[in-house]
Amino acid sequence: MLAIKDLCVDFPVMTGIVHAVADVDISIGSGKRVGFVGESGSGKTTTALAVMRMIKKPGEVSKGQILLGETDILALSSEEMRQTRLRRISYIPQGAMNSLNPVMRIEQQIWDGIVDHEGAVSRSELKRRSDEAIEGVGLPARVARMFPHELSGGMKQRACIAIATALKPELIIADEPTSALDVITQRQVMETLENAQEAIGSALILIGHDMGLMAQCVDELMVMKDGRIVERGAIRDIFKYPEHPYTRQLIASVPSIGGESFLPNVSATTANGQKQGDAPLLEFDGVSKVYGGGFFSKKGNTALYPVSFALDGSRPMIISIVGQSGSGKSTMGSLMLGFNRATTGVVRFEGRDMAIMKRHEVKGLRRHIQAVFQDPYGAFNPYYRVERALSLPLRRFGIAQGAAEIRERCAEACLGVGLDPARIIGRFPHELSGGQRQRLMVARALMLSPKLLVADEPVSMVDASLRASILKNLYDLKDKHGISIVYITHDLATAYHVSDFVIVLHEGHVAEAGAPKEVIGDPQHPYTRLLINSIPWPDVDRQWGTSASAREETARLMKDARDHPPVDRSAVPGFVLARAS
Amino acid sequence: MTLATMASENRQARSLDYVKGYLARNPSLAIGIVLVGSLVLFSFVGSFFVDARMARPLSAAPSQPPSPELLFGTDTQGRNLFAVLVYGTWLTVQLGLIAGAIGILVGGSLGFMSAYFGGWTDRIINFSTDVLLTVPALLVLVIIASAFREGMTPTMMALIIAALAWRRPARQIRAQVLVMRNAGYVDTARISGAGPFEIIFFELVPNLMPYLVASFVTAVSAAVLASIGLEAMGLGPQNAPTLGMSIYYMMNFSAFLLKMWWWIIPPIAALIILFVGLYLINTGLDELANPRLRRRA
Repeated sequence: MLAIKDLCVDFPVMTGIVHAVADVDISIGSGKRVGFVGESGSGKTTTALAVMRMIKKPGEVSKGQILLGETDILALSSEEMRQTRLRRISYIPQGAMNSLNPVMRIEQQIWDGIVDHEGAVSRSELKRRSDEAIEGVGLPARVARMFPHELSGGMKQRACIAIATALKPELIIADEPTSALDVITQRQVMETLENAQEAIGSALILIGHDMGLMAQCVDELMVMKDGRIVERGAIRDIFKYPEHPYTRQLIASVPSIGGESFLPNVSATTANGQKQGDAPLLEFDGVSKVYGGGFFSKKGNTALYPVSFALDGSRPMIISIVGQSGSGKSTMGSLMLGFNRATTGVVRFEGRDMAIMKRHEVKGLRRHIQAVFQDPYGAFNPYYRVERALSLPLRRFGIAQGAAEIRERCAEACLGVGLDPARIIGRFPHELSGGQRQRLMVARALMLSPKLLVADEPVSMVDASLRASILKNLYDLKDKHGISIVYITHDLATAYHVSDFVIVLHEGHVAEAGAPKEVIGDPQHPYTRLLINSIPWPDVDRQWGTSASAREETARLMKDARDHPPVDRSAVPGFVLARAS
Repeated sequence: MTLATMASENRQARSLDYVKGYLARNPSLAIGIVLVGSLVLFSFVGSFFVDARMARPLSAAPSQPPSPELLFGTDTQGRNLFAVLVYGTWLTVQLGLIAGAIGILVGGSLGFMSAYFGGWTDRIINFSTDVLLTVPALLVLVIIASAFREGMTPTMMALIIAALAWRRPARQIRAQVLVMRNAGYVDTARISGAGPFEIIFFELVPNLMPYLVASFVTAVSAAVLASIGLEAMGLGPQNAPTLGMSIYYMMNFSAFLLKMWWWIIPPIAALIILFVGLYLINTGLDELANPRLRRRA
């Protein structure tokens, strides 16, 4: 149905021409689901945009043919192409939640497409069709009357699917439709997309980098690297007999629960912790956080209900805090960093209350509590060269003086995480890949060797193939340098492998806590079970979740989870979680 | 060492090429700079040929039309109008620069503090700005200016206008910083031990530079406009030949009835060139500050 022959897309740059897509041949039958996997920059999105004829200038299709049925896409006039988009090929862009118009109701955005392609349609007919489209993606019809800001991320993503499927196109292209969503929402959105696609009978191109998701969703897979397809075939065959080393690497990079550690050569010996004195390194005493609310306004929004724990720190540990977005896990992280003040309770670092410290004490403390943030793209100031992120703390904390010593320290830190200093130092942030930047942030933490490191989703925005090596870097911080780490994530599989203790947060409450082998390996709380069931396994034969309908399963387990008491699993020496009253 | 100097020369040449290339792609910025630049150059070069005293009354025969000796003629009080244009243009631009700079400095600091610290600081600063924004500026300026009528100088004039020039920059810069405050690199700087003022000046300001320059240009043209308004009402410096004062005199001494076109056209033409030039610079900088408007990457 869709046939791409010898497609080449070129981008002229300062140093010559970059072949973003080179000699790509694809044919997709109707009703088929095809996955494109590869890292950022591998040409998967560019191929999709070429099919939509939406490649940004100065890039252009330099060679090849794209046939949709009998139509030669590249030969259409721009008006014909406009009519083809959405009606015959629809595209769900990356970060679709930001592609909705904030000042228009959802239904108006659906009508736009209908009116543009079919001319004047009566209002009652438009309403009927938009309601049908919204209900088709499993949202209540009243959502059609809402504005985008009133919807959650998953609902916005489904609204985008409704727009894309309203005209029943022959081909749907979904570009990383779930990359910003947590696992539970991801499963529901993917189910919605598959149902909508099956109802229309159209073909689906799913672009992504998660092999687990691909295993669960697509029939055929194209593995792309540097603009070329390096391997293609039925999904089952690729998982069973991957041929290209890159495919093998991609499959191996997906952590699974149970089995061998996916981190390469983890050492058995552990360095001693760096804390001083007898008090625990970090202590939460009945800490809660309420956002908003005040003297005049109504009750605020409770992000975190009172929680108490003590991390001893004489033996370095990795504590994982897992949960969906909005579960309060990032709030916990910012309380530890002192970015936020607790509404009730006391946060103590080495026995001292962080809220009543004097300014110079806070500065002394900063050195010992460091962080790796989620977004490696935002963490560097675009105005400066990257080494400023490393040299600034050296100067501010008085660790090193003089340009030469600082340079030496930075180079050392780069080597420590496996980066070549000659290729990193002196570059601007935009010249480095996301993975390189995130490693540099880990290098920064290593260089300062703090007592506590808060890693807030350190790998969620990094290509799958690099995740293992960045997590290994973090693991080394604990093992070789005795740094205790709080690992905040929604990815239970990595938490299972790296952590010594897991806390599962659900709507600001602790749902389940204990050693990872018990909590994630054998979950007792319905919410933990839901999280684990929602992980897409990189195993074609294994069903996604325990029931056929994600929506039904989620609703059932969520209902159970709400009233279920917290489950306290075995204690782990060095970490004490007090029962919240 | 030679290699290093060569490299730096090479870099300079390349950055000059880059600036040239950029200006070619951004014609409104280039034309704006040429217009304002030629106006300033005219007044700078002109000051070598005419004396400042020639811009005073009774320096020449009154009401003379243009002639080879008196290029732009004289007004009814015997001012050499060429000298008035030379010195008036510079005085007016200077006044705009002073008032604009003070406005951007004060307004920018207030905007940065308000957005970065938030809470009560933000509420107080924002409240005062909002209240002052609703008051018509000219009303306040007229009251202040009429209190200082005697012995007013262009610099005093600039200070009076600056007293209200900070409001809009404060508001605009606050909005920009509110967005940038949540950037990841601000958090990186915080855990690197940087204090709030270091974060404002070394992390946020460099990224806002094109925007700050653009608001400076807006502030300059707003200040020039305010000064012309006051001067046309006769509230300007009596002893300085600014462009606004020329407009006041020509209205007061009925240049239109006397059909003295050589008195009317030059100051108005200078003002039009100044405003159009500043406007073009501002549009050009807007494209630089706001990459979404950038047509070619």
